[in-house]
Amino acid sequence: MNIKPLFLTTVSSSALVIGGWMVGDLGGTIAPPGSPPGLDAHETHGSTSLLGQFRTSFSSWLWVRTDLYLHHGVEMRGLTEQELTRGKTGVGSSDNQDNALHDDDAHVAVIPSAEHDFRGIFGDLERATSSWKDMRGHDHADPISALPLFRLMTWADPQFIPGWTTASNVIARDRSNEALEKALRLLREGLTHNPNSIALHQEIGQLLAARRRDFARAIEHLEAARRLAVERRELDEDDLDALRDVYRWLGMLYRDTGREEARKAVLAEGVQVFPDDAVIARLLNPPKPVAISREEFEAKARPADTTDDHDHDHDHGHDHDHDHDHDHDHNHDHDHGHTHGDQHHDH
Amino acid sequence: MKFGVWKALARGVVLESVRRKDLWVVAILGFLIMAGAGMLGFFGLKGLETFAKDLAASVLGMFSTVMAVLVGSRVMPEEIKNRTLYPLLARPITRFDLLFGKFIGATWVTWIAFLLLAGLTSLALAMFQVPFEAVMGQYLIAKMLGLSVIVAVSMTLSVFMTASAAATMSFVLAFGSSMIIRALVMAYESSSPAFQVVFKFLNAILPQYGLFDLGSRAANGWGPVQAWVLGALAAYALVYSSAMLSIGWLKFRKQAI
Repeated sequence: MNIKPLFLTTVSSSALVIGGWMVGDLGGTIAPPGSPPGLDAHETHGSTSLLGQFRTSFSSWLWVRTDLYLHHGVEMRGLTEQELTRGKTGVGSSDNQDNALHDDDAHVAVIPSAEHDFRGIFGDLERATSSWKDMRGHDHADPISALPLFRLMTWADPQFIPGWTTASNVIARDRSNEALEKALRLLREGLTHNPNSIALHQEIGQLLAARRRDFARAIEHLEAARRLAVERRELDEDDLDALRDVYRWLGMLYRDTGREEARKAVLAEGVQVFPDDAVIARLLNPPKPVAISREEFEAKARPADTTDDHDHDHDHGHDHDHDHDHDHDHNHDHDHGHTHGDQHHDH
Repeated sequence: MKFGVWKALARGVVLESVRRKDLWVVAILGFLIMAGAGMLGFFGLKGLETFAKDLAASVLGMFSTVMAVLVGSRVMPEEIKNRTLYPLLARPITRFDLLFGKFIGATWVTWIAFLLLAGLTSLALAMFQVPFEAVMGQYLIAKMLGLSVIVAVSMTLSVFMTASAAATMSFVLAFGSSMIIRALVMAYESSSPAFQVVFKFLNAILPQYGLFDLGSRAANGWGPVQAWVLGALAAYALVYSSAMLSIGWLKFRKQAI
C-alpha cells in the first residue's frame, strides 16, 4: 500500500484545519462587530440568510424602480463630481413637497436633450422610443402610486429600512388622523422586524411629536434611538441623518416640556456628534430674544426723515402683529416643524 | 434572388431547433414568467399595474435576448462541428446563400420563441386586468427588429470565433452596449476634440439595441410612437444586419472548412 498520498493528504488537511482555527481570532480585526453601513446592513441579517442576496437585490431594484415611476419612467442620474465642478446643475423640480423622497437639484435625465447629445439621429430615436421629456422643472407622479411598491419591497426584504420610512412619509403626507395612524402602524411593523433601527425610532418619535403632540411617547422613541446610536460603534449615512434629527427633536421637546437639564445634556451631546450643525448649536445656545414693544419697533423702523413719499411697506410681507419671536433664524425654526429642512412634518 | 434556397435553409434551422428541443427553453422561461406572475398575484396587484408591465417588458426583453444570442451564435459552428455543412455546400448554393438562409432561420426561431413568450406574458397581464395598448403592439414589432440585429451580430461573431466565445461576446454587447453608449454621451462634452471623434466612431459601430426597446413607454403609460420612428428602426435594423452579415460573409467565403 502506497502511504505517501495518504500521508500528504493528512498533513495538508491538518494544516488547513489548524490554519483555519488559528486565523479565526482575526475575524474581529478583519470584520469588527457593529452594524454594517448602508444596504449591507440587511444583507447580513439572519432572516435573509437563505435568500438574502436575492431579496436584498430585489428590494434595491424596487427602490430604483420607484424613483423611475415617480419620474413617469424617465431615467434620471446624479451629476458626477466632474460635472458639478464644471458648474453643471440639475434639472430641479416644480413640486417641492417631495423633497423628503428625493431631491432633483443634482439630477439630470440619463438621455440628454438634443442640444447636449452628439448622436444626432440615434439620439432623436432614443428620445422617441424611450420615456423621455425635457425634465427641467419637472413634476412628479403622485408618490401614493408608489406605495404598493414600498409595501412590496418591505415584504420582500423587511430589513430594508428606507422602504419603511419612505412609505410612512408618503402616507403621512395626508394630514388626516387616519393616515397618521396608518403611517405609525407601518413604522411599528417595521420596528418589529428591526428593533435596533435608529431611523425607525426617530420617524415614530417625530410623527408622535409633530402630528399627535404626544411628547412623552415621542421622547421615549427618540431616546431609544439615541441609546442605540451610543451603543453602536459605527453609523452609516442614514443613521447619522436620523440621529441628527433625534438631537434636534429631543432638544425642542425638552425645551417645550421644561426639562432644562435634559435639554442641555442632550444638545451638548448633539453638538459633540454634529459640531457643524447650526440648528443643534442654536438650540443649545439660543440667541437672546429681541422683545420690544410695538411703539419701540415702529420708532426704530421709521427713518428720521420719513415723509409720505417714503411710506412704503417695511414689513416685507411680515405681519408684526402676530406672535413672532424675532430670533432672525434663517432656518425658520419658530416651531418644531420648520426646524427640519429636509422633512415635511410640521406642527 | 434565391428565395427558394433561403427558405429551405431557414426551414431547416427551424426544424433543427424543434428537433433539438430548443423550445423547451422557451417553455421553461415561460413557466418562470407564469410563476412570477402567480407570486405577484398572491401578493395582490392593486396599484402595481405599472410595475407588472415594466417587469413583463424587462423579463420578455431579457429572455428573448438570451434566445437570440444562443440561437444566432450556435447555428453556423454546429453545422461545421456536425459536418452537416459539407452536404449542404455540395449542392448548388453559395456560401452567402448558406449564411443568409441560416440567418433567416435563426431569426424565425428567435421570433417564434419571442412571440410564444409574449403570448404567455400577455396572458399573465390579462389575468391582472392590464389592458393591451397600441404601444404594446409597437413594442413587439420593434423588439422583433432588434432581435434580428442581435442574431446577425451573433452569427457574424460565430464566423470569427468559437460558438461559446461568440455567445459571450454577443451577451456583452447585448447587455452592455446601452451602458457603453450612455457613458460616451455623459463623457462627450467634457472630452477633448480627439476623444470626441473616437466617441462618435464608437457610437456609430456599436449596435444600438436600446433603440428597439419600447418597454419603458409601454410600462409607464406613454403613447405610441410616430410611424417614422418604426420606419427608422426598420431601416437601421436592415442596414446594421446587412453590414454584419457582409462582414461575416467576407470571412466565411474564404474560410477553410
